Amino acid sequence: MEAHMSVKVLFFGSIADRLGKRECSLDTDKAMTVSDLVAAVGCSDFEPLLLAVNREQISDMGLLVQDGDEVALMPPFSGG
Amino acid sequence: MQNLVKAVRIQEEDFSMEAEVGALRAISGRIGGIATFLGCARDFSEGRDVFSIEFEQYAGMAEKAMQALRSEALDRFDIIEARIIHRVTTVHAGDQIVLVVVGAEHRGPAFDACEWLIDELKKRVPIWKKEMTPDGDSWVTQHP
Repeated sequence: MEAHMSVKVLFFGSIADRLGKRECSLDTDKAMTVSDLVAAVGCSDFEPLLLAVNREQISDMGLLVQDGDEVALMPPFSGG
Repeated sequence: MQNLVKAVRIQEEDFSMEAEVGALRAISGRIGGIATFLGCARDFSEGRDVFSIEFEQYAGMAEKAMQALRSEALDRFDIIEARIIHRVTTVHAGDQIVLVVVGAEHRGPAFDACEWLIDELKKRVPIWKKEMTPDGDSWVTQHP
């Protein structure tokens, strides 16, 4: 069964600068992995790329994105 | 007045190392050793002048990640209390950026936990710095 899904995507640092936006909303009717989402927003060749789903860092690109999720695409951290 | 009640904070305003150490010491009379790490802005980086540094954070995740680090440090090391304060604003040479304060009964665990906390903060907390240089703005990509 397919259901409509809406995901909030956030971009930070150099990624936000490169894309010229800080966030977007992704709507789809198909099941989508984090890897699919990264491709859908045009960031497949961004390397290195850190990811967070609902404010928790993740490493499994095969994780299925859920309706209402907040997914962040982040360059390596440089705080401190 | 700064909110010294919170041991983990991200804030624009400057902090007082003396006040933070005082807040940590007030927690327990068993604290016999305190280690601190204070990170400051430099005016030179990667071979060029730096006029100022701007910080960006993932609000909602960055402070949460710092709180998780503090909890993990309290579990991993024989320490009594830890405080982490990070500024997210525009800073200039000499300005304070980040402070880690760790209190333990003895110095060994305090030093170890303090070093671990700042090392892990750089790896796990979603904060980024952008340096303003004579050649333009430049995102910092490494965490030496």
